[in-house]
Amino acid sequence: MFNLFSTSFFKKQICYAAFIAAFIFGNCLADDTAEREGYFEVRSAGTELVNEVHTLDSRLQLVLSSEALAALESGVTLTIEMQIQVIRVRRFFVDNVDAELAIRYALEYRPLSQRYIVRNLNSGDQDSFSTLYSALNRLGRVQNLPIIDDALLIAEKPYRVRLRAMLNTQQYPASLRLLFFWRGQWQLQSEWYEWQLER
Amino acid sequence: MVRMAARTLKRIIFALMSIASVALILSALFLLTQTVQRSDDFDRLQDIILIINVAGGLILLFLLIANLWRLLRDYRANVPGAKLKARMVGMLVGLAVLPLIVVFYFSIQFINRGIDSWFNVQVEEGLENAIKLSQAAIEFRKRQHLYATIQISQKLAVLPDRQVIFELSMMRRESGASEMTLYGDNNRILATSSNSATATFPKPLSEEVSLQIQQNRPFVSLEPLNTGSSEIRTAISFTYRGNQALKTRVIQAHFPVDERLGEMISSVENSFSEYQQLVFFREDLKDLLTITLTFVLLLSLLAALYGAFVLSRRLVAPIQDLVAGTRAVAMGNFDTRLPTPSRDEIGFLVKSFNDMTQRLATARHEAALSQALIEAERTNLEVILARLSTGVIALESDLKIRTANQASSAILGINLEKKVGTLIKKAAKDQPLMEQFVDIVCSHLDAGETEWREQIVLREEIGRRILTCACITLPNDENNKAGFVIVFDDITALLQAQRDAAWGEVARRLAHEIKNPLTPIQLSAERMRRKYLSSMDKQEAQILDRATHTIVQQVEAMKEMVNAFSDYARAPDMEFSSFDIDKLANEIIDLYRAQENEVSISLTSDSAISLVEGDVGRVRQIFHNLIRNAVEALEGTTGGQIDVQIGPAEIDDIKMIQIRVEDNGPGFKTESVNQIFDPYVTTKPKGTGLGLAIVKKLVEEHIGTIRAKNRSDGGAMINIYLPLNESSREQMIAKIPGRSETRRGQV
Repeated sequence: MFNLFSTSFFKKQICYAAFIAAFIFGNCLADDTAEREGYFEVRSAGTELVNEVHTLDSRLQLVLSSEALAALESGVTLTIEMQIQVIRVRRFFVDNVDAELAIRYALEYRPLSQRYIVRNLNSGDQDSFSTLYSALNRLGRVQNLPIIDDALLIAEKPYRVRLRAMLNTQQYPASLRLLFFWRGQWQLQSEWYEWQLER
Repeated sequence: MVRMAARTLKRIIFALMSIASVALILSALFLLTQTVQRSDDFDRLQDIILIINVAGGLILLFLLIANLWRLLRDYRANVPGAKLKARMVGMLVGLAVLPLIVVFYFSIQFINRGIDSWFNVQVEEGLENAIKLSQAAIEFRKRQHLYATIQISQKLAVLPDRQVIFELSMMRRESGASEMTLYGDNNRILATSSNSATATFPKPLSEEVSLQIQQNRPFVSLEPLNTGSSEIRTAISFTYRGNQALKTRVIQAHFPVDERLGEMISSVENSFSEYQQLVFFREDLKDLLTITLTFVLLLSLLAALYGAFVLSRRLVAPIQDLVAGTRAVAMGNFDTRLPTPSRDEIGFLVKSFNDMTQRLATARHEAALSQALIEAERTNLEVILARLSTGVIALESDLKIRTANQASSAILGINLEKKVGTLIKKAAKDQPLMEQFVDIVCSHLDAGETEWREQIVLREEIGRRILTCACITLPNDENNKAGFVIVFDDITALLQAQRDAAWGEVARRLAHEIKNPLTPIQLSAERMRRKYLSSMDKQEAQILDRATHTIVQQVEAMKEMVNAFSDYARAPDMEFSSFDIDKLANEIIDLYRAQENEVSISLTSDSAISLVEGDVGRVRQIFHNLIRNAVEALEGTTGGQIDVQIGPAEIDDIKMIQIRVEDNGPGFKTESVNQIFDPYVTTKPKGTGLGLAIVKKLVEEHIGTIRAKNRSDGGAMINIYLPLNESSREQMIAKIPGRSETRRGQV
C-alpha cells in the first residue's frame, strides 16, 4: 500500500498539479487575438478664452474593440468618459491639479428603432444616430465645452490642461468588472493629451 | 544551543508566513465580497485585492516549495521519519486532492449546463418576433405619418407664405403631430408649430436628415426621447411654387407614439435588450464562475497541500524524536528525555521510552557506583598488598601471572609487576631465585596440589633465603577457571634474628659464667708465682714460672674471648650523627698501617661522598673488624694487600654508601661461605669467629646489607651497603620485607 506513495507517486502528483495549473491559466489568459483591438486617441485639443471662460475644442478618434462593439449591439450601454484636468505648474513642488472635470456619455443601441443613442450623462441631452460611425463621430467632436472660469485660476501662474478618453465600466456588476479587468478589449483608454493653457 | 535557536527561529518564521498567507487570502476574499456588494469600491480596491491574493498565494506557494524541498532532501538523505512523512503527505494530498478535483469537475459542469439552461431558444425566438412585430407596427405608423407629411408638403407647396403659419398649425393639429417646422434655404426656419406652450425653439435639421433630404429621400425615423417615450420623426423636401422662382423647402414633423403602444414597445425593447445582454455575457459569466471556482480550488489545493505537510510533520515529529532518542540510547546516552507530545498512543510510547531511559540511566549509575566501589576495593587491596611484607602472587589457571605485589618482587629479586600476563615459568627465566621458587611451586601444582604450605630454601650466590610459602586455589566463577594465590614470606631475617638472639644469650651467659672465675684464677696464679717463685729451686721455679705464665696468658686470652662475646651480646642504643666517613676510614687505616708492616693497606674514596648519617662508633667498629679480619687472614702471607674502597651506590633508587674491603689472602672456604656471618665461624687459626658476625649485626642495625664472596683472582671481598642518610634509611626500612617493623623497633 505504501509503495503507492513513493517518489514516483509524488512525481505523478506534481505532473497532475502542473497540468491543472496550465489548464486554468490557459483558460484565464485565452484571448481572441483575431478580433479587432479598439483604441481611443485624442487627435487634437485646445482651449480658447471666451468671455473669461476657457472652452475646449477637441477631436478624438474612438474605435471600439470587437468585444465592446458586440456588447453594444447586444444592448449593453457603453459609458465613454472624457477626463479633463487643469494643472497648476509649480517650480519646486509637484504640480497641482486645480480643477478636474469628467464628462460621461452613454452610448447605446436600440434594437427596435435600430438607432444609436448618445446621451450626455452630465446634462441629460441625447442624440440618436442611424450609424455607429455617426454616433462615435459625434462623441469624438467636442466644441466650445466650458471647462473653467478664468477667475478661478491664479493670475500669472502657468497652467497645463490635459485630456483623455476612456471606456468606463463602473456601471457593470463587480463580477463582470473583475472579468473585464483581465481582458484588454475592455481596457480602452487614450493617453493623456496635454497642452499649455493660453490666457 | 545556537543550532536549536536557529531552528526555533525558522519555525516561527514559517508559522508567521503561513498565518500571513491565510490571513491575506481571507482578507482578499472579504474584500472581494465587499466589492461584489458595492461595485463602486472595485476600482479602488481591485489592485489591493489583486496584490493581496498574489502575495498570499505566493507565500503559500513558497511554503509549499520549501516543505517539498525539505521533504525530498530528507527523503534522499534517509533522515529518520522522512519516508513515513512522505507517505503521509502523499496519502493526505491524495485524500484532499481527489475530492476537490471531483467537486471542481462537477461544479464546472453544473455551472455550464445551469447557465445554458437559462437561455431558451423559444424565448429568444419569441423576443425576436416581438421585436419584429413591434417594428412592423412602428413601420405602419411611420408610413402613415410619412404619408401625412407628404400630403402636408403638397399643400404647403402651393400656399403663399403669409398663410403658411396659420395653415401649418392647422395641418399639425389635423395630422396629430406634436411639432411641425418648415425650413427654407440653409435650414432657415420659416415657420413652426408645436402643441406645447413651453416648447423651445426648434433645432436645425440634423446632419443625418439634411444628408438624406439632399438625396431626395424622405426621412422617417423612430426617435427615443429623454422621457423614455418615443416619437416618429419625419422630414421631406418639396418645391415651393411661389411668386418668384422655385424654392426647395423641408417640412419636419414629430409624431408622438401612442402612449399604450409606446409602453408596449418599450417593454418589448427592454426585454429584448436585457435578454441579449444576458446572452452576450453568458460566456463571460461562465468564465467568471470558472475562474472563481478555479481560484478557490487552487487556494484549497495549496491549503490542503500545506495542511498535509503540517499535519504529517506534527504526526511524524514524535516518531522522529523517538528515532533520535533510540539512536542516542544506542550510543550510550541514557540521559535522553523526549517531550511528551500528547496523551494519545504516541504520547504513551514516548512516556514509556522516557521511563525506559530513566531506568537505564539509573541502572548505569548504580553499575558505575558498584564499579567505582570495586575499583576502590581493588585499589585498597593493592595498597594493602603493596604495603604487605608478605609476597603475594596471583596466577591464572594457565599459570600466567595475574598480579604480584612489591614484596614478592623484593623477595624474589625480580620486578614481577612488569611480568603480569606472562607465564610464571617464562618470567622466571634467568632469574636464579625465581627459578628455584617456580620449580617448587610448579612441582606442587603439577602434582595436583591445590592447597599446600611449605618452607622453602632458595640458594643465593652468598647465603640462602628461607621462605614460608602457602598456596590456595581461587574460587571458580562462571567464565574463568580457577586460579591460584601464592603467599610467601622471607623468614631469613627472622631466623637469623632468632639465631642472633640465641647466640647473644649464649655469649651473655658464657661471659657471665666464665668471666667470674677468671680473675681469681689469674690472681691465684700470680700469687703463687710471687710467693713460691723466689723460694723454689731454679728448675722448679722455671716450671712454676712457665705454668703460672701460661695460666695468666690463657686467662687473659679467655678474658679477651669473654669480652668479645660480651661485645657481641651487648646492643647499646644507636646514636645517629653526620660524620666524615673518609676521615674515619683514614684514621683507622693509619692505625693499622702503623702496626702492620707486612701488609699494605690502601684506601680509595669518592670525593662525592663526605658526610654520612650513622652511628660513628658502630661504623668505626665495622672498619676495625673488617680490616682486622683481613689482616689476620693475611698473616703469614707475603705481599699482603688490603684494598678499602668507599663510594656512592644505589639500591633500587635508594642512595647508599658502599664500603668494599678486599684482600688477596686465601679467601673464604667454599663449604663455610654460607655461615661466615654466623658467630664462632672462622677460617683463621687465631679468630674468635665473632668479627664478621658483629660486623653483620652492626650493618643490619644500620638497615644496610652485607655480602661476602671470593674474588676470582683469589682473596676475599666483602661489600657493605649503608644508607646514606635518614631518608635512605627510611626507604630501606619500607622496602625490605619482614625487616621494617623489626628494624624500626630496634632503631
